[in-house]
Amino acid sequence: MAKTILIVDDSASVRQVVSIALKGAGYEVITGNDGKDALTKLNGQRIHLIISDVNMPNMDGITFVAEAKKLPAYKFTPIIMLTTESQEDKKRQAQAAGAKAWVTKPFQPEQMLSAVAKLVQP
Amino acid sequence: MAETFVAVIALAAGFGAGYLTRGRRRGPSASLLPPDRYAESVTEFADAVAPVWSAQIDSSRTQMETAVGQLTETFGGIVEHLDSVLTSSSGVLDEGQGGTFDRSRQRLGDVVGTLDQALTAKRESLGELHSLLSLNEELRQMSSEVTRIAAQTNLLALNAAIEAQRAGEVGASFGVVALEVRQLADRSQNTSARMVENVDRVAAAITSVLATAESSAEREGNAVAHANGEVQAVLDDLMDMLSRIRDSSQQLEQAAVGIRGEIGDSLVNLQFQDRVNQMLEHLRDNIVRFPELAADAATGAAVLDARILLDDLASKYTMAEEHQAHSSGSATKVSESEITFF
Repeated sequence: MAKTILIVDDSASVRQVVSIALKGAGYEVITGNDGKDALTKLNGQRIHLIISDVNMPNMDGITFVAEAKKLPAYKFTPIIMLTTESQEDKKRQAQAAGAKAWVTKPFQPEQMLSAVAKLVQP
Repeated sequence: MAETFVAVIALAAGFGAGYLTRGRRRGPSASLLPPDRYAESVTEFADAVAPVWSAQIDSSRTQMETAVGQLTETFGGIVEHLDSVLTSSSGVLDEGQGGTFDRSRQRLGDVVGTLDQALTAKRESLGELHSLLSLNEELRQMSSEVTRIAAQTNLLALNAAIEAQRAGEVGASFGVVALEVRQLADRSQNTSARMVENVDRVAAAITSVLATAESSAEREGNAVAHANGEVQAVLDDLMDMLSRIRDSSQQLEQAAVGIRGEIGDSLVNLQFQDRVNQMLEHLRDNIVRFPELAADAATGAAVLDARILLDDLASKYTMAEEHQAHSSGSATKVSESEITFF
């Protein structure tokens, strides 16, 4: 059975690019336009991994990670931050919130798939 | 957009120095505006241009976001179609090569085999007819033998009748027997002659049937051999055609895989939209602040200090190249992607 990955990014083109890379590798994909929208997708369904942007309107990625980790069903779901953000303190905040990896844009699909394969739960 | 950014910075930097140097630019004969009117005009200028610049930036962001979004969606659709075509093409080829073709070969082989069996049965029947003809010939020889025996019997009966005549009254009864024997011999001879006639007619009929059947069997044998050859030729043609279709399909498949990869690479490059969008957003937010600072300077609440705008702009940066461009004053290369595992 295909693993499901939630992609959270306010950029439609980034969501699309990540989706194509993941679908090509056999993953199923659901998307959220920002942190607030993504929280509505955490409705109990099985999600094997989350890929989230950092800087987004309505709810930023770090807040979203912290909120997601409060939900029992997603407490142990691995999260990758995919961002243009270069500030080290943001990276530390993401780690403290519960993220497992930090990937900077523009990403190469092979790099992303490698990180996903390393973190996705069986 | 870079030109807009430069213009804003130049305007901010020039505003403070503008009032001090305006007399020098206009020359000694030009009449000077009162300071408050000059400050007011700069505020009006900032109020007028900042919203337009901001709107143009927003318009550019929107247009780019829409266009790149549609482009990625279209490319995404193409990739999905290519994946679908590649999957179905591969399945059809596998079925065509290993399934349908082999089944067709088996079925056609069965048909030819059935024809071969029918021909073999017919040849066995021909062999039976040949045996029948041989038996018929034996019957004819046996009939001829019976005819000869009847003739000899007739001769013996004739001699017996003569001897009975010589014997006189004593041989009279023997003469009657000899006469009966001669009559039986005559009847045997006649029956034997009719048998020979019938055997000859049967032989003629069998020979005729045999000739027709042998001719038919030869034609059918040729037809089966021809059918066998044609079936093999058709199968060879089909195999050749399938092989060419397979080669062509493999080439198409390779081309499709290549196109998919190129589209994937192009999509990766379209990530620039997200980065440029953020840069323009930071710039727009900075421009929006300019009238406020100009107004403060005009009222004397604060000096017009470019550092306020520039520091505000720098505080919004998220990308390393934004910081580098800010400090160097020139465009910088986008950094390679990095992965950090926590």
